[in-house]
Amino acid sequence: METSNNANQLLVISDLSIVYQSKKQSLLALDKTTIEIEKNTFVAIVGESGCGKSTLALSIIGLLAIPPAKIASGSINYKSVNLVELKENQRRQYRGTEIAMIFQEPLTSLNPVYKVGDQIAEAIVVREERQGGKEIDAGVQVMQKTYRTNSPDFPSRLPRFRRGALAKVLREETLDALKRVRIADPEQVIDRYPFELSGGMRQRVMIAMALAKKPALLIADEPTTALDVTTQAQVLKLMKVLMDEVNTSILLITHDLAVASQVADRVVVMYAGDIVEDAQVFDMFAEPMHPYSKGLLSCIPTGSKDKSKLTPIPGSVPNLSEEQIGCKYASRCPNVMNICTTKRPRLLEVKPKHRVACFLYGE
Amino acid sequence: MESSSQDLDGNILVTKRLKKYYPIRRGFNPFSGGGQRFVKAVDDVSVNVPRGKTVAILGESGCGKTTLARAVTLLSPPTEGEIVFDGQNITKGKVNYKKIYREMQMVFQDPDSSLDPRLKVRQSVAEPCKGLLGKDEANINSMVMTSLKAVGLTEEHAERIPSHLSGGQKQRVAIARAIAPQPKLVILDEPTSALDASVQAQILNLLLDLQKNYNLTYVIITHNISVAEYLSDLLVVMYAGNVVEYGPSSSIIAKPRHPYTITLIASAPIPNPWKRNLLNTEIKGEVPSAINPPSGCKFHPRCPYAQKICSEQIPELREISPGQFVSCHFAEKTG
Repeated sequence: METSNNANQLLVISDLSIVYQSKKQSLLALDKTTIEIEKNTFVAIVGESGCGKSTLALSIIGLLAIPPAKIASGSINYKSVNLVELKENQRRQYRGTEIAMIFQEPLTSLNPVYKVGDQIAEAIVVREERQGGKEIDAGVQVMQKTYRTNSPDFPSRLPRFRRGALAKVLREETLDALKRVRIADPEQVIDRYPFELSGGMRQRVMIAMALAKKPALLIADEPTTALDVTTQAQVLKLMKVLMDEVNTSILLITHDLAVASQVADRVVVMYAGDIVEDAQVFDMFAEPMHPYSKGLLSCIPTGSKDKSKLTPIPGSVPNLSEEQIGCKYASRCPNVMNICTTKRPRLLEVKPKHRVACFLYGE
Repeated sequence: MESSSQDLDGNILVTKRLKKYYPIRRGFNPFSGGGQRFVKAVDDVSVNVPRGKTVAILGESGCGKTTLARAVTLLSPPTEGEIVFDGQNITKGKVNYKKIYREMQMVFQDPDSSLDPRLKVRQSVAEPCKGLLGKDEANINSMVMTSLKAVGLTEEHAERIPSHLSGGQKQRVAIARAIAPQPKLVILDEPTSALDASVQAQILNLLLDLQKNYNLTYVIITHNISVAEYLSDLLVVMYAGNVVEYGPSSSIIAKPRHPYTITLIASAPIPNPWKRNLLNTEIKGEVPSAINPPSGCKFHPRCPYAQKICSEQIPELREISPGQFVSCHFAEKTG
């Protein structure tokens, strides 16, 4: 794959390897991952637990716990800046305003002791301050600063931005952010605490916060796994609509191929730390090429047991702490050949915009 | 549906107007008036489970499906109503739990919390057999090995503890434990929701094989419509403690009549990018509170077909087409 500095490329990750190290063993979570993300596209990364999809997401936004994680090789180029080489305080300037993230369980990512309105307002303040060129002290949360009670200037418990002229503008902007995520009566919700909201509303608040900073890339790590199907439909639909409204790219991490097929423009399938297939959504579902993608698709029940029996993938995922020779899927693959156990297939573009890592196609 | 109109003999389990209310204590002052209030988790549910078939109970979180399972297994006995299991009313008089649990077993959602982390697989599976069928070591040992073999585990797995097993293997152990005393009815609470897609497919096929080999009846609690469609013969759709639709799975999936079932099925993602049903569904609002549910039909504040009568009168379950019961005033006009 050519790594041309195309103006349409937002994020270019090349040869990224990430290792989790403990005293006993080291585990290769990402194995020379190469992927590009274009502007204003909806990319879904699909894989089963332990395939490295969350590690990839966390490494992009820079929230990997280092150690135990270690970036062994590779680069993450965001708008031609290699994020891997940046220091933490430089990296921080990207987090939120350039690359934002929402997580699986909104209740654990929202602060339980602040009203949701204040939390969204904080996001807006951060955006404004960064756009104004102001450096925010690393390590000091805006919230903590503004809620400080012992300061003589701010005797009230209210944050600075909730009083005076600024407060009015901010309130308007916060309301807009809530309205954008289609929350009914935002005037009420703005003064509620996260525990007073339902799961779907919490996830909308998270999305409102993430988008309030107008990021160019939104990473969503299993955003609907904790939600019911009807709520999931609402949230996914909202993400899809907002992507165009805010003009951002979305990287959706999911274990559900069906969800990916419903919303994504492009689907990337990962297995045991490798990208095994990467294609436009219609190509992926019309003609999945990698045996793992095919296997995964045939595992989804559609219809009743009388019509078609499921064909599960035999065996289980290899142990990533042991060195793998050859293709990691070889032990479970129905099309396994001699070469598969001795050599690792490379991810090659076998058709336009369709990359596969399998010896069945080329090499 | 009225259970009296049904043939009792063909059903292994019948619930009649089953209710499970949880009382709420308000505040710390025992004298604060206002009367006792309840969370109506399961409200007036009548379901028939035919022998040898699979019934799926489908619904979103908080609709009362797990409470229904716990009430049926007498793990939390119902507040009101009757349960007839294998021709015997188990809600009246003195209950012989040993006899019931020999024939009715349950598989819980999360094998991590339902398996004892300190017991070896062999001991975990032997436990219910010992309690229910006496203490003949050799006999129990052979039962344990048969059921472990039936779920695809080996001698070697029997000596492991749960933390040395994968998620799919743990769920297999939980299933082996349930089928070891050779029950007639197995109730499975979200048997695959904690599993990955490829493992889920293995477990679903295992369940089908076991049903064929041991002539089991299943009640499957799930929120996953494709799992329900794949496994079940009959479908019970629940919303806010009520059954809103009941009938043969194939006819409900093909032609849902209750507006809630319609949105539920439309919201389920299908692996087909040419049919993006998920982006075309409209559903407003949230699941109502179980303490203060809306008057009349509980779905009416979210329903696109709602009329005045919906907020005034609770719709009864009516037979709309053969075997398909719907609780909606306008069931003929939907869809």
